[in-house]
Amino acid sequence: MGGLEPRFPVPYKNFSLEIKGNSTDLVVCRYDDHFLVMATQIGTMGTILHARKEEGVSIQPTFHVSVIFGKRDEPMLLAIARQLIEQISSSASSLPLVLSLGLKDHSAETLKGIVSAVMENRLCLQ
Amino acid sequence: MMMMSSSGKQSESEAASKAGAASVEDGVGGVQVTTFSELVDDVTLHFQIIHLPKQIFAWIGCNSAKFGDLYAAAPTRPKNSVSVASILGGASDNTGSGIARRLVIKTGLNVIVACNMPKNSPMLEANAEKKLVEKLIALGYSRPKSPGPGLSS
Repeated sequence: MGGLEPRFPVPYKNFSLEIKGNSTDLVVCRYDDHFLVMATQIGTMGTILHARKEEGVSIQPTFHVSVIFGKRDEPMLLAIARQLIEQISSSASSLPLVLSLGLKDHSAETLKGIVSAVMENRLCLQ
Repeated sequence: MMMMSSSGKQSESEAASKAGAASVEDGVGGVQVTTFSELVDDVTLHFQIIHLPKQIFAWIGCNSAKFGDLYAAAPTRPKNSVSVASILGGASDNTGSGIARRLVIKTGLNVIVACNMPKNSPMLEANAEKKLVEKLIALGYSRPKSPGPGLSS
């Protein structure tokens, strides 16, 4: 059978940047019902978090963020997940997010670096 | 200070499978993403493999791009056993958990598997697993403990 190969149904973007001197690999994917964001400086997925927008009647959206695998004692990871779900939900669709963070340092600058890198490359999330 | 480099290289690899699917590989930094789809018995299986230096993420989509259930599996010392954990959705008897376990047994890799395949479809599960393992070996990612037939060093 000739003709065009259908496009792979999961759009994704794979890129790399340096944050505070640490080489960081990022992958951003959109599935039918979830976003997947992977940010790693250590060669593995590290800690995996889940974040979703809560259905509610109030005007202000609320979000639920939790660690589902890995470090549960590092609040910066939850902060990154919360920032990402808030920004993604307001600018792209409100799918839940699976976030993997394998980071060497957990500083505020790293948080900002990851969040801005993902948001700059979020076109495939729409 | 942030310096950004996003030069990805795309290459079409061999398309020698029966379904004639070409896989797309895209590597940047330490991460290689490979995607391919196969038609098996009227079911379209989509595969996405994200290869990190010390871990593999594999997603298997069955006729859809739903994320499915998420499992983590790894070889466990001291014996040659394998541990599997269900980390999102799923249960120990869902399809993904068996695939994750056998992936570790056959390849020796530390894996995270997301899979939306139905339960109670053993043929489909076996086919999907076979395609995935073949691709992992073809890409040179596998680290088997004992040499098997047809594995390149």
